[in-house]
Amino acid sequence: MQHDYYTSKKRLLTLIVAAIFLFLVIFLRLAYIQVIWGKELQAKAGNQWQRDLPIKAYRGDITDTNGNLIATTETGYGVYARPKSVVDAESCAKALAEILDMDYAKLLEKLTKKGVSEVTIKRQIDSAQASEIRSRNLHGVYLAAEGLRSYVYGDFLSQVLGFVSYDGVGQTGLEAYYDKYLQGINGELLTETDLVGSELADGSMSYVPAINGLTVTLTIDAVIQTIVENVLQLAMYQQKPQAARCIVLDVTTGEILAMASKPSVDLNNLPRDNLEYLMKYSKNTLLTDVYEPGSTFKVLTAAACLEEYRRGNPKAFSAEHIFGNSSGIRIIDGSKISCWTKHANGKHSNQNLSDALNNSCNPIFTDIALSLGKSTMYEYLDKFGYGSVTGIDFSGEQAGILVPKTSVTNGDLARIGFGQTIAVTALQLCMATASAVNGGLLMQPYLVKEISDPTTGKVVKRFSPTVVNRTVSAETSAQIASMLKRVVDEGGGKNAKIEGYQVGGKTGTAQKFVDGALATGKYVSSFIGFFPASSPKYLALMIVDEPEGQSYGSIVAAPYAALVFQEIINYKNISPLE
Amino acid sequence: MIKKRIDCVLLSAVLVLVVLGLVFVYSASMYSAELTYGNKYFFLFKQLIGAIIGIVVMLLVTRISIDFIKKLWIAGVAVSVVLLVLVFVPGISIENYGAKRWIGFGSFSMQPSEIAKFAYVLFCAVYMSKTDTAKLRYCLLPIGIGIVFCGLIIAEPNMSITMCMAMLMIIMLYLGGMKWKYFLLMLIPIALAVPVLIFLEPYRLQRLLAFLDPWASPKDEGYQLIQSLYALGGGGWFGVGLFNSRQKYRFLPFAESDFVFSVIGEETGLFGCLFIFVLYLIVILRGVRIAVNSQDKFSCYLAGGISAVVAVQSLLNFAVVTGSIPPTGLPLPFISYGGTSLVVFLTAMGVLLNLSANVYQNNLGVKWWIT
Repeated sequence: MQHDYYTSKKRLLTLIVAAIFLFLVIFLRLAYIQVIWGKELQAKAGNQWQRDLPIKAYRGDITDTNGNLIATTETGYGVYARPKSVVDAESCAKALAEILDMDYAKLLEKLTKKGVSEVTIKRQIDSAQASEIRSRNLHGVYLAAEGLRSYVYGDFLSQVLGFVSYDGVGQTGLEAYYDKYLQGINGELLTETDLVGSELADGSMSYVPAINGLTVTLTIDAVIQTIVENVLQLAMYQQKPQAARCIVLDVTTGEILAMASKPSVDLNNLPRDNLEYLMKYSKNTLLTDVYEPGSTFKVLTAAACLEEYRRGNPKAFSAEHIFGNSSGIRIIDGSKISCWTKHANGKHSNQNLSDALNNSCNPIFTDIALSLGKSTMYEYLDKFGYGSVTGIDFSGEQAGILVPKTSVTNGDLARIGFGQTIAVTALQLCMATASAVNGGLLMQPYLVKEISDPTTGKVVKRFSPTVVNRTVSAETSAQIASMLKRVVDEGGGKNAKIEGYQVGGKTGTAQKFVDGALATGKYVSSFIGFFPASSPKYLALMIVDEPEGQSYGSIVAAPYAALVFQEIINYKNISPLE
Repeated sequence: MIKKRIDCVLLSAVLVLVVLGLVFVYSASMYSAELTYGNKYFFLFKQLIGAIIGIVVMLLVTRISIDFIKKLWIAGVAVSVVLLVLVFVPGISIENYGAKRWIGFGSFSMQPSEIAKFAYVLFCAVYMSKTDTAKLRYCLLPIGIGIVFCGLIIAEPNMSITMCMAMLMIIMLYLGGMKWKYFLLMLIPIALAVPVLIFLEPYRLQRLLAFLDPWASPKDEGYQLIQSLYALGGGGWFGVGLFNSRQKYRFLPFAESDFVFSVIGEETGLFGCLFIFVLYLIVILRGVRIAVNSQDKFSCYLAGGISAVVAVQSLLNFAVVTGSIPPTGLPLPFISYGGTSLVVFLTAMGVLLNLSANVYQNNLGVKWWIT
């Protein structure tokens, strides 16, 4: 007995040694957790102790070239709720339903939703509603200031500006292209909360301010844009076309001064629930869609001809050359090409190049294109920027459609000479024509000239005119400009004439392709003009798509270009040259 | 005549632990108590009542005859079995988190397993002092009762108390002098039971794995442990300061009960934890000292067994809180919120103090080290 009892006491000591050892092991583990691992654990724990409320950065303004506001951001609010912090869901839902004009049952459902930390009640409410909500002191309901994008003129420059999402992210147009500059950097408000997000009574708050977006200054002149929008509206009313489009630019720099398409959308009241309509009329078709330019394209053929003659190409013709074949018809590889009008009673006979432009005589341009040949014509197409994008600061630009050089036939080449069998964007045509009259430089078009910091006024980024390449010599360019002036003075562009201002230009009427085939009775009527011809500055392309009734560009498009020019003259107070 | 004198070191250590328990139960529960009951002192008050009752009972028990306690050996086991069975009786049973661990009527509730542990220790101490436990046949009854207790507790289910109970059984038999080879025999059914339990209740395996990498399931099995580690990790050397725990804002589940030590670690740091460890070691060492110095087998077994309950339960709690073993709910003696637990442990301390008074005061020390 005594022996066993002694054993028990020995065993007690064994147990106590084991217990002390275990205490030591756990203490070491504890020391490791608290002292060595502690920092990392604390950092992880920190994430769950705070809830952050994002503070939306102010989205930058967009102004016109003179600093006039076009797009801005007003203070709107988003209403959010944390269901677990909502004390009296029913009275809360009642108050919100009344203020926000929302459905009580749906609100109650949101406010009592289980398993979510936060619900969105409504986005983009105005300051008045926000202060009403604030005054009710609803527990668990939060207001977060967020930008409300707003456009000074609404339905204005719509396809160029584009629009933003509810979250203020640029979706289309310049809003998307320059989004990273406009966006700014969001800040946040950190609050200390318990597990389910209830704020601690004596918790601290930390505030990281948002950095505002930058101001984007366009090359667009709001006055000229307004002129263009109004003239297009008039054309829409008078000609009842599918669409009317216009670009106005400065030929010396490539700055786009106005760019508009009708019909368009009101950016302040977007048809977001009619997606098809929205996408169709918010698209900047002037550079995303191609069309067959028709006679306006003859400027290129004429310029190529004169430039090649100057360089001594024997296949080219001088400005004085009289084209012998006065027939209104050419048969090329068995296919017939006709002039737009019958060559009877001496019409279109003994023409030189200038006469041919005046008359817009198709056979002469066919002769020139065929005489210059495939490689020379393609060389000029390339120089004038056809087949490649212009490089404008806008997404979705098309390069146009050229028949591949390897497979082009004489028939194709003959038609390209007067603007058929080729598809271009309106912008490409503008830039090419600008280079033909501005002294021979193909400019890169651009819509934004400056990005600046609104708080300091400092310019962060400046865009300046960029020459893409030389197309023709200054002399050729001057010749083309004066020939096109003659077209407006005496030829097909008569309707664009403004006494004393040397307007030059060329009309165009092209049949439309619908589903790959020529559609009878559907035309694109256009006029591309510029002034003053002695030293061109303003160029405008006016396109009237599928006008009702008359279809000739000279009648349907040229008068509207003249209206635009006249208004620009008035606005800029330009004195007559003669 | 020997002058009776209770062990004041032990008493002081216990009282300090109880007071610290009140402080940290309050600290850990003030936020959730305010939210749930609108009174941040809710848990503190209930714990305070437990502490007062416990201390009164403890002091009374130091005065009564140890022979009276000895007489309760069979009654203790019988009452424990009855209470453990009552846990399954509808109307009396209280179900919490899918487990029936409590019985109660009105505002009173208790956890029978708390009583069962000490009843088992008392039973073994008496039985083993009357028999020769070196012989296998005298081991059978303690083993049998231990298995019945374990079976009833695991059916609740309460894995942690079952583990506690099983370890206690082994320790008591070891103290009683059971031979090593018999322990090996006992290990066989335990080794067989583990896979069966895992198969029957697969969530146990998941829990088992969760402690190895709690971040693998941060929202489910790993959640508790992650929150406990966050609390301890926030403490560092000296802690974030009393009442400043961040994890008690409902991040840490059972912050005032099973995981109160995490809050202590967060608020007082490694040094605070060391202090708590030292207090427990004092209680355990003084308990073992009483056992070693006792005059008879019964006192030795009883004092040793009571010390073992404190050691096993506190070590298991620390191991869970630090992620050293799979997480399982087990209150920390004297500190965790829970009236039954506090009263029962303080009563046991009363018994221990009572035994300490029967020890010859003059031949301590030397004998302690040479025995």
